[in-house]
Amino acid sequence: MAASPTLAHGFQYAGPSHQAETAVAGMWLFLATEVLLFGGLILSWIYARHFNPLGFAAGARETELRVGTLNTAILISSSFTYALGLSFLRAGNSRRLLHCLALTLLLGAAFLALKFGLEWHDDFRNHLFPTDARFKIVGAENGGARLFFSFYFIGTALHGLHMTVGVALVIWIILRARRGEFSARYHTPVHLVGLYWSFVDIVWLALYPLIYLIR
Amino acid sequence: MRQTGTQPKTPPDVGRLLLTWVLLLVLGGVEFGASFLPIGHSMRPLIAVPGVLMIILVAVNFMEVGKGPVIVRAFAVAAAFWLLVLLALGSADPLSRTDYYVPRVTAVAEH
Amino acid sequence: MSSVASDEGVAVPTGETEGSYLQDGYTIRSWLLTTDHKRIALLYLGSITIFFFIGGIAAALVRLNLLVPEGLLGSEEAYNRLFTMHGIVMVWFFLVPAVPVTLGNFVIPLMLGARDLAFPRLNLFSWYLFMAGGAITLWALFAGGVDTGWTFYTPLSTAYAKGHVVLAAVGIFISGFSSIATGLNFIVTIHRLRAPGYTWYKLPVFIWSMYSLSVLLVLATPVLAITLLLVMLERLFHVGVFDPSIGGDPLLFQHLFWFYSHPAVYMMILPGFGVVSEIIPAFSRKRLFGYKFVAWASISIAVISFFVWGHHMFVAGTSIYSAVLFSILSYLVAVPSAIKVFNWLGTMHKGYISFDAPMLYALGFIGLFTIGGLTGLWVAALAADVHLTQTYFVVAHFHYIMVGGMVSAFFAGLHYWWPKITGKLYPEMWARIAALIMFIGFNLTFFPQFILGYLGMPRRYFSYAPEFQVLNVLSSAGATILAAAYLMPLGYLLWSLVYGERAPANPWGATGLEWQTRSPPPTINFLRTPVITQDPYSYQPPEPVQHGG
Repeated sequence: MAASPTLAHGFQYAGPSHQAETAVAGMWLFLATEVLLFGGLILSWIYARHFNPLGFAAGARETELRVGTLNTAILISSSFTYALGLSFLRAGNSRRLLHCLALTLLLGAAFLALKFGLEWHDDFRNHLFPTDARFKIVGAENGGARLFFSFYFIGTALHGLHMTVGVALVIWIILRARRGEFSARYHTPVHLVGLYWSFVDIVWLALYPLIYLIR
Repeated sequence: MRQTGTQPKTPPDVGRLLLTWVLLLVLGGVEFGASFLPIGHSMRPLIAVPGVLMIILVAVNFMEVGKGPVIVRAFAVAAAFWLLVLLALGSADPLSRTDYYVPRVTAVAEH
Repeated sequence: MSSVASDEGVAVPTGETEGSYLQDGYTIRSWLLTTDHKRIALLYLGSITIFFFIGGIAAALVRLNLLVPEGLLGSEEAYNRLFTMHGIVMVWFFLVPAVPVTLGNFVIPLMLGARDLAFPRLNLFSWYLFMAGGAITLWALFAGGVDTGWTFYTPLSTAYAKGHVVLAAVGIFISGFSSIATGLNFIVTIHRLRAPGYTWYKLPVFIWSMYSLSVLLVLATPVLAITLLLVMLERLFHVGVFDPSIGGDPLLFQHLFWFYSHPAVYMMILPGFGVVSEIIPAFSRKRLFGYKFVAWASISIAVISFFVWGHHMFVAGTSIYSAVLFSILSYLVAVPSAIKVFNWLGTMHKGYISFDAPMLYALGFIGLFTIGGLTGLWVAALAADVHLTQTYFVVAHFHYIMVGGMVSAFFAGLHYWWPKITGKLYPEMWARIAALIMFIGFNLTFFPQFILGYLGMPRRYFSYAPEFQVLNVLSSAGATILAAAYLMPLGYLLWSLVYGERAPANPWGATGLEWQTRSPPPTINFLRTPVITQDPYSYQPPEPVQHGG
């Protein structure tokens, strides 16, 4: 990986742009694998909802729609700020890149705080964890509701794990950007982390209706 | 590739990015609003359609799937296609299964 | 590895004009921290050999148990754990990696005229992931093991099984990321690092096969990852989606598991197709018949293999309509495989055939794979499968493909490229004897199992009805012969490293870029980037021998 201003590239590549484009292609392929990872989870949502319509809907009604919707807006905005930062960098404006990255980091941290600090905390307090002995929904709808919340906790945990990795990557990019390692000519790591970050946003855009809206 | 000038410039695609952001929020609002409509249980998944549009917008405008080498688009299409195969062919069984009703088991199996 | 910065800022390894990659550093560090695809291939070769023997010992104990109807080992639980260990180790730590990580890693950059894979450090990291996953899995298996079978069906695995399910699942989960990394590396390399002039239709079929395999690796393995994760979460925290007592569907597990595992069996065989497609033309001195058909057949197999997983679930309780759909699609996926077989035969027709060891193994592959493939069609038929499923017929079917096919292909490729990898020639006579013994031992082991299955002997049972004993004894006897046949290459290949004749660059007179560089190759593979102008497999018939009169 080239880090020096002389734009050295790996000896198997024809030139720096060949290497950069190859790295971008590799990241997209990695993101394709992640689509299938979450896809299996979505299939489990389909099954759970199909076989337990009433209980599943009863569980879904207990989600915090306002927090979820706010989080969706936050993530969309963070994807925007990152893309904006990359765009500024390509125009030669490293200062603006740092501003945009800082904003992205803030929004990402806000998402995590709202999701795990606020929402999960409330969910546990309301006895919505599926193995809770005093699970909130009882009777015929108990099973379906517990299935819903299994999907909810697993899905948001897996997404949250990916977000946390994303936040760490954004911090890494900020540190490298502050050291002046990126320019309009070389910014492949910024581009790659941006792809990952937007992808984590996409996963949330898929989970949001499944958790909060469809019931 | 842009010039590295000493004057910070506003990049030409800020407008496009800003418009995308607004559009995404609008579509999110549409999705949110649609969830309050009295739609039947089996049709409710259609509420996610604006969400799919949002995903495409992010991929095209923020992730720039249209730029870069051709294989980037091939990978994105492949991911979407195989996701569809998993979900559609995987749903074929539950959607066509005949359910034989079994009375509710009151005792939970021991783990 | 010493290097120097050239004018363009490229760090080109030096000292490569004299030595080979084997001489580029003799310390353990230079091996464990290498990013050279050739060295990584050898690291993998050592690892999978160890796993092969562990899985083989488990199989030997299984066959030992089945010598008598009551079960010789005396414990059902132990038997269950043994066949589970055999399945897990052989599937995930031998068959899926075998050709791709050893021969694929070594040969692909050479065949493409590239200097390495696209992401060499990712390649090294994938080996460490493989070793970590393998170590954890072996720990689980030797600490007492798992009794669910390699298929981990719920709710047995999530709720009732005793044993180290989670630990084994963690090990497999980690090794899955090794597979994904390898597949990703191969796909990007094949797209981006081909030598100038190398259009897709000039590539050897081995590359097309490895590309198809890599598509399977990157798209199917993540589904295995999420499935194992769901099993772990349900077993550990009782948070899950498979639990029938809360309305979960245990069949969901089977759908998710087989969505990966059916492409997985094609992951195991596609590299074998690729190897055989290189060897048959070389030892028939003839172009591959129907090159484009064989190339696109590989892609078709990769794509269609994702559509057929339901044929593992015909009696599981899925809807009959989805079963019919999956049965039809399963017949469809057999077509491209058959196309390949006919094309290999067409290649040999009017060729000049020599029976060196790689060719013997490749011919064995064709015959045994065909039998395995045809019997697959029998079990793909719904009505027949009701009788044959979960019997030894299925066991024989997949062992004909996996062992008769894939392991033969692995040995074929290992012998074919051995001179290139090591710079030594193996002893041809011993290799041919081993190939023959393997063929005999294999058929003696597994053909009786077709009959046993047809007669109704169930699989995964520790004991069996007394009337099945003769066939079981024959099968176990065959297993002993097969084991001897596998030990022979271990012996003579290691012998050849020290005492073998030095190999020229192209001992077989084969086409393909990997034969245009030295045996063994220098670290940067090619001293000058090759330019491709010829079609692949441009073999010429040998000069006719002049007879007097």
